[in-house]
Amino acid sequence: MIQFIAILLQRAVVVLTGAAMATFALLWHAPGDPALAIAMARHNAIVSTDVVDLIRAEAGLDAGFWSAFQAWITPLLVGDFGQSSVTGRDVWPDLVTAVSYTMPLALAALMVGLMVSVPLALVATLHPGGWLDRGAVALASIGVAIPAFWLGLLLILLFAVHLGWLPAMGARTPQHIILPALTLGLGVAASLTRILRSGILEARDQPFLPAFRRRGVAHRNIERDHVTPHAAIPFVTVFGLELAFLLEGLVVVEVIFARPGLAGFLVTAIKTRDFPKVQAVVLVTAVVFVVVNLLIDLIYRNLDPRIGE
Amino acid sequence: MIFTATGLSAIRSGRTILHPTDVDIRPCERVGLVGASGSGKSTLGHALIDTLRAQGVRVAHVPQSPDEALDPLRSMDFHWCEAERALGLTHDASRQKKLITTLRIEGGDLHKRPWGWSRGMQQRFVIAMALIGTLDLLVMDEPTSALDPVVAADTMDLLDRYLTERQTAFLLITHDLGLAARRVARVIVMDDGRIVEDAPTEQFLLAPVTQAAKSLCAHRNWLELPC
Amino acid sequence: MLEVSQVSVRRGSTVTLHDISISLEPGQTLAVVGESGAGKSTLINAILGLVPCSAGQVTWDSLPVRQCWPALVMQEPRSAFNPRLSLRRSVMEPVTVRGTVVDAGRLDRLCAGLEIAQGLLDRRPAEVSIGQAQRVGILRALIAAPPLVLFDEPLSALDAVTQKHTAQLISQLQGEEGFAALIVTHDLGYAAAFADEIAVLRAGRIEELTAAQDFVQAPQTPYGQSLCDAAFALGALERVA
Repeated sequence: MIQFIAILLQRAVVVLTGAAMATFALLWHAPGDPALAIAMARHNAIVSTDVVDLIRAEAGLDAGFWSAFQAWITPLLVGDFGQSSVTGRDVWPDLVTAVSYTMPLALAALMVGLMVSVPLALVATLHPGGWLDRGAVALASIGVAIPAFWLGLLLILLFAVHLGWLPAMGARTPQHIILPALTLGLGVAASLTRILRSGILEARDQPFLPAFRRRGVAHRNIERDHVTPHAAIPFVTVFGLELAFLLEGLVVVEVIFARPGLAGFLVTAIKTRDFPKVQAVVLVTAVVFVVVNLLIDLIYRNLDPRIGE
Repeated sequence: MIFTATGLSAIRSGRTILHPTDVDIRPCERVGLVGASGSGKSTLGHALIDTLRAQGVRVAHVPQSPDEALDPLRSMDFHWCEAERALGLTHDASRQKKLITTLRIEGGDLHKRPWGWSRGMQQRFVIAMALIGTLDLLVMDEPTSALDPVVAADTMDLLDRYLTERQTAFLLITHDLGLAARRVARVIVMDDGRIVEDAPTEQFLLAPVTQAAKSLCAHRNWLELPC
Repeated sequence: MLEVSQVSVRRGSTVTLHDISISLEPGQTLAVVGESGAGKSTLINAILGLVPCSAGQVTWDSLPVRQCWPALVMQEPRSAFNPRLSLRRSVMEPVTVRGTVVDAGRLDRLCAGLEIAQGLLDRRPAEVSIGQAQRVGILRALIAAPPLVLFDEPLSALDAVTQKHTAQLISQLQGEEGFAALIVTHDLGYAAAFADEIAVLRAGRIEELTAAQDFVQAPQTPYGQSLCDAAFALGALERVA
């Protein structure tokens, strides 16, 4: 077990280092002059080349790729995310504020995903091939096919514009989270429903189940003790993947609903070539990704220790 | 009381794999259900178990392979306790220990899952589980195919004694007439979803009637050696 | 001839084969019997060069055994074939791979010998019975006329009647083709009926190596005796008055 965790941590370190280096390299080599972009963002006007050169030196952009990378990564190792190249403010507090808006939305979307998909899949598998099942499959397929930005606009039209029940823009009250959470969550629910439904049907088709019935094990116990764990394996896999996709969907949804959060933070940072800010977002998402994968590996190991051996 | 099941049949994807069939087995009787692969003998076995169970006959079943009897995600101990609960029994450690010793699988770790055991040990564990309750009839489908010959012979001897002591009827489903001839008193031959012969073993071996039975008899051993 | 001299195989710290020496002449059959985990499959893999020997060597006529293109018949007939290819293409693969030419009559002759019906080869593995698939597996092994054929539990997936029939066909073809056959099996009955010699493999060592007739009459080791007793108790062998 200890060895297993050590391997996972080792993998996490590799992923994080890779992510850090890849983003830094991408930003560094992106077309355009980063110093000019920073200067424009700072002064909101055309600036002279002297000022740009000054900024270049100040941000360490004239030192070459490796020394710039080193200058950024070294303080990070002790938890210092540095200061924004544009405003000069510490990155960390701004990042925390952004995450404090994004995290509840992500969790709410996952809750919607689980609360819709699990009952729907259970109802669908009551009578495989029946009209309820077909309806659920059709709904799920449509849900997977609809892009979040379109669904978001439809929900705004219906609930905010026509019915006027819910607020559409911003994040002032708890009600503000409902529409974006639905937008994200319904997409998650669609793919979870599909995988859970097929997982349950496959689990019920296992070759050993007839023997359990002939042994006199009650139907209820077979479902609970033998079908559920087998159906859970693909479900957990997709749930983990959904978490990763969620990060991507969040950016779109936060923009549509004009919510403050990581999306706004990231988009501004990229536009102004604010290296420390972009790096901070990438690292945070990479950490989330790694932690989620770690958790999934642990769940797997608990469900079926053969996986990953 | 004779265990009787009538009108057993099975159709799978439009094809009749078991034509309507009646089977009766007397208490303590040892019967072999023999036929080529695909002759419908396992299907008949399943239908017979389901029908007799519905009548309240206490039947236990040992499937052909441990993969058809054990959940790879659950520990051996879980399977055991579940089987006890299914029979309405409370967990009895001494009974478990006794059966496990009888089948010589004390070496297996009950906290492990099936794939932590060798296939031979898994198969014997399934047999041990089948013997938890009091039985009227034990149905075994190719019990020796997952076992090495020495262990298989040993296990069959042991079952012989166990079933005699407890006066339990035995249905052995196998493609191997050589095996059946040594273990059962009555042979039922299946061919293409039908019972084509049903006779006491000795009589059957001397005078098989149908083509399927003749072929089984002719190929029942690899070698015949003089005493 | 096949010569396995003092071969040992290690997996990590455990020795799976220990100091194995056997030899096999063309036209002869050696059966290796033993229980699961005795090292039977490892022996086959070692002979084929699929696992490295930690000591000793395997040769055919003093050359590395791979140069004689030995053939293998596997235990599970259906999964031994690519499910997407017709059986004919799978059967001809040994010929294509080696780039040799096989005369036109050979396929028909072998098909006749193995009782493979016309048209069967145009089906896919899932469309034939297990017994048919195994006969096609044997056909594939023999098509390029190998001097050495290894059989890994060739009959254990078949029913009793088909087993005896298939064994008969293999033996007849061996008489015509003259290949050396090494059969790995847990079934002493099969070994006794069709092999010239029987080697008992136990825990990675050869415990006994005897002519087949002598073995079933009077095994030399207690373990050999228990194998014989089991074969009689399970009806694989029978004593008649």
